[in-house]
Amino acid sequence: MENVLNKEIKKIIDDCPEVGRILDEYGIGCVPCSVGTCLLKDVVGIHNLDPEREATLMYRIEKAIYPDRQVAKPVIDTTKKSAPKKITYSPPVKKLVDEHVLIKRLLALVPTIVDYIESSMKVDKDLVLRCVDFIRTYADKYHHMKEEDILFKYVDEKAEIIQVMYKDHDTGRGYIREVVEGAEKGNKAQIKQNMLAYQELLTQHIKKEDEILYPWIDRQLSTTQVGEMFRRCNEADASVGEELPKKYEKLITDLEEKFLQEVVK
Amino acid sequence: MSGCPGSRTIDFSEKTDQEGSETGKRPSQLRQWPIQMHLVSPQAPYFQGKDILLAADCTAFSLGDFHKDYLKGKSIAIACPKLDSDQEVYTEKIKALIDDAKINTLTVMIMQVPCCFGLAQIAKEGAEKASRKIPVKQVVVGLEGNILSEEWI
Repeated sequence: MENVLNKEIKKIIDDCPEVGRILDEYGIGCVPCSVGTCLLKDVVGIHNLDPEREATLMYRIEKAIYPDRQVAKPVIDTTKKSAPKKITYSPPVKKLVDEHVLIKRLLALVPTIVDYIESSMKVDKDLVLRCVDFIRTYADKYHHMKEEDILFKYVDEKAEIIQVMYKDHDTGRGYIREVVEGAEKGNKAQIKQNMLAYQELLTQHIKKEDEILYPWIDRQLSTTQVGEMFRRCNEADASVGEELPKKYEKLITDLEEKFLQEVVK
Repeated sequence: MSGCPGSRTIDFSEKTDQEGSETGKRPSQLRQWPIQMHLVSPQAPYFQGKDILLAADCTAFSLGDFHKDYLKGKSIAIACPKLDSDQEVYTEKIKALIDDAKINTLTVMIMQVPCCFGLAQIAKEGAEKASRKIPVKQVVVGLEGNILSEEWI
């Protein structure tokens, strides 16, 4: 089993798709991951399952990969019910989770916005560029840069999970470049395809961060590091000014007013 | 059982399920004097830029590994929200620790008894009055020295 633990998750799932289904049952959604280079031991470890659940999960994975092998089934005390783990964040990490809320509000509007663009006679370039401005300035410069310049520096940046996050950020930037090009050319299909791809990517990315990555990082931070990170994030926010988040919150509210009414109509 | 949970008589001297090791000497992690909240000054050098532990008096006696797990690396102030007088001074001192001593974090350690939550309240008020913002953590210690909760507030 040791060599399987040190194998990349995508290779394991490709060889034995049942492992993907088992992981999914435990809320470990590796199957749709486009990268899949995390090692199985890291994938399981990062989810912080209680010891009994982790032992059962590992037993089931081993039996799925080696059906003929004699594997001792873990003894589970069924009288002991573990309470579902409530995710709590340290203050600087909570601020990053709160910033996701505004980004998710834009992502929720994306299908309606692309339908509107598709059904319009002419591409509403101003609308597309306002969305791009939010993504580039608020989501990327204001939010992702705090992750890349501050948060990720507190853990091993070479860890696969962090590399996956960097790759997601880069992939997202690529989609947005395509959206801008589509807007310049008036190419509705290019805008639609890349806006929807960005929506799908960021939705999964934020879910991974909120539920897995951020709690994993928080578990490793000392009290001193939490205080230091809180100060550094506040300094980063102060450097862009307090008007910036307010400006983009208003932009999202305006878009919601316009497009939620479109949906009602 | 009735009366104030903070002063109710409970005897757990028969407790036998003790784990841990008693071997080796355990050095004190205290790096300052004084420690009582009325006696400490926010201007003291040992507070400047540090992580601070504001501990209810009883916590250090309840928690077996108080020095190793919670005091180590921190500066400390102790207080009793039930018996101490002039507690408005405490609120002002916490504000001064945050704004003037520019402390990094504040960890408030209290016992599980209801009166002890007054210390957490004092810490919150001091932090709210301060113009700087810092992370504040609350640790609640059970009567038998177990950690009941530890969370950022």
